[in-house]
Amino acid sequence: MINRRFSGYLFASPWIITFGFFWVYPLFYSLYLAFTDYRLMHHTYKWVGLQNFERLLADQSFLLALKNTFIFVFGTIPITTVISLILALLIEKNFKGRAIFRSGYFIPSITSMVVIALIFTNLYSRGGYLFLLSEMIGFSPPANGFLLSNKTALYSVMAMDIWMSVGYYMLLFLAGLKSIPKELYEAAEVAGAGFFRKLFSITLPLLKPVALYIIVINTIKSFQVFVEIFVMTKGKYGSTTAVYFIYESGLNRFDFGYASAAAYLLFVIIAAFSIAQFSLFRRRTVS
Amino acid sequence: MKKYKILTGLTLISLIAVFMLSCGGGSNQITLRWWHFWTDPVIKPVIDKMITDYEMANPGVKIEQTGLTWANGHEKIVIAFSSGTSPDIVELGSDWVAEFSYSGNLASITEAVKNDTAQFLGWTPGIYNDSIYAFPWILGTRVLFLNRDLLTQAGFDEKFIPYNWDDLKQACFAIHDLADDIYGFGSNAAEKHRLYKKVLPFFWALDGRIVSQNGKYAVFSSDKTYKALEYYKSLHDSCSIVDTQRRLEDAFLDGKIGVIISGDWLLKRIRNENRDINFFTTIIPGPEYPGKSFVGGEYLAVSKTSPHKDEAIKFIKYITSTENQLIFCKANYTANPSSREATRDEFFDNDPDLQVFIRQLELSRMTTPTPNWVYIEDIIETSIEEILFNEAPIAETIYEANARIQELIKDR
Repeated sequence: MINRRFSGYLFASPWIITFGFFWVYPLFYSLYLAFTDYRLMHHTYKWVGLQNFERLLADQSFLLALKNTFIFVFGTIPITTVISLILALLIEKNFKGRAIFRSGYFIPSITSMVVIALIFTNLYSRGGYLFLLSEMIGFSPPANGFLLSNKTALYSVMAMDIWMSVGYYMLLFLAGLKSIPKELYEAAEVAGAGFFRKLFSITLPLLKPVALYIIVINTIKSFQVFVEIFVMTKGKYGSTTAVYFIYESGLNRFDFGYASAAAYLLFVIIAAFSIAQFSLFRRRTVS
Repeated sequence: MKKYKILTGLTLISLIAVFMLSCGGGSNQITLRWWHFWTDPVIKPVIDKMITDYEMANPGVKIEQTGLTWANGHEKIVIAFSSGTSPDIVELGSDWVAEFSYSGNLASITEAVKNDTAQFLGWTPGIYNDSIYAFPWILGTRVLFLNRDLLTQAGFDEKFIPYNWDDLKQACFAIHDLADDIYGFGSNAAEKHRLYKKVLPFFWALDGRIVSQNGKYAVFSSDKTYKALEYYKSLHDSCSIVDTQRRLEDAFLDGKIGVIISGDWLLKRIRNENRDINFFTTIIPGPEYPGKSFVGGEYLAVSKTSPHKDEAIKFIKYITSTENQLIFCKANYTANPSSREATRDEFFDNDPDLQVFIRQLELSRMTTPTPNWVYIEDIIETSIEEILFNEAPIAETIYEANARIQELIKDR
């Protein structure tokens, strides 16, 4: 019996050791570092208490990064969720060529983020297709392209992110729609309910668990936005975000204590948001 | 069983023999580990040949090279020094030397190289607290590239060269007026590590400083900084196209931009791509002739923990010798030697563009070496971005930047 239990741990040990060394240990070690002035290459460091957090809250670059992250989260999530829901409702209908549309919307989600970001960098640049298109429709784009302007850089990255994400969330909504029993719609139709009545009384209430999942996942993902910024703007033109700030502090300036403090602050914010979202949805679902 | 024992015995004996042979054979052999950034297919064989020659002349020394890239080389070097696995010799960018010497990771080479200082250019970044920590190897400056055809179309005679700021401005404005898709000046976008290098020449030309000579005070907020930024902004706002360095160079080669600031890599590109462009180079002008430019460079340093410091310094002196620098420049078609004797070679005399770079090297300045440079650079770059792209008032912006730089200096 003991041997069986031991052999179980033995078989699981590669994962346990990897998890311990590469997840648990760095997690707690970085928490410790957040309270020190540790900088790579400086062979000594000391405990500084909350100094890194105080420095963060007075750092204009970090506050801008945090503000931009909130703009990103609140700007992309509602639009992404609504568009993906609309697309799911449209795609669910039985029409010719449905598979082509479904694949078309989903392809950006399985394409490399770096590749998409590079393509959009060209589309947004002066002379790029999106630049020319906006000129054609009478919208005057920034003189040097969308990504080289403080007014449009962050929003351009957000627009690309929405375009890229909707396909994946559409698929999740589609799965949710498929799980709604057809009898409910039939009964509603018999009772004389129209499209909107069915949408608001059956579809949306029953899609709540899927919507909660999408919003929570998208919130966490959006708070961690990095690759798009790294490839497209390098945080310039007022487009820096919290994770990009952490990257700059940690891997560019090697100020690990400071970067760890920023990372934990972001962790607290994401955790608070996730808890709030869960409790909000649960309360509404119960009521 | 007996057969098994014999087999085991033989294996053990052969293992011991191999171990003893390897110990005995290598007792006089020294391996110097050298990390550098020259991995491109044109230069790599040139460096390999230099190393082979060195190893033949020094039979007890073996050079083990590791190629780095500019994209992540700095990170790799920092991690190596932090984890105690640093190479004996490392190539460092000019901005990095102070950071590594301040943190106690480099060996002082003052005694070994003090007699060489007069023969080489660009020592400033290699010196920290009056000690020399890095030897200048390859320097890099920026000059003006001008499109002669566009100048002619704009009414300038064939011998026109902008000698001062007024000439430059006049030329840029005249070219800008030629057509809607022709631009006078190529102004850099907010690219990290690039934008400030294009603005500093105008600042250096006025003898401006970022930090006082003794390193104790921030002196960025001055009338010199104001005038330099005001001038650059006038070009930026009125006669420029703004884009990344690579795209500016593309547009210049396509004949769309009259004037850009660039390095000798553009000369190499024009030659390698066989571009048909009627251009010339000249030194970056100041308010009065001549102006100054920005110069950076690549330096060779010895790790403090290297057990072979003397051998490492000997190799550094070999690789940076006048002869090897000339071989390097000829193979790379660049004009960036740190050796004064190399700068006087006929290879540079015979090429008017390379000669401009050599002349500009003498009229260039480097940033003050400070361990906080990464932060100072960020402050300077951010303030330039605010002024150029966000219409921030110059005086207030440089005043605030100065205060932030002073805080950094005070912290150290």
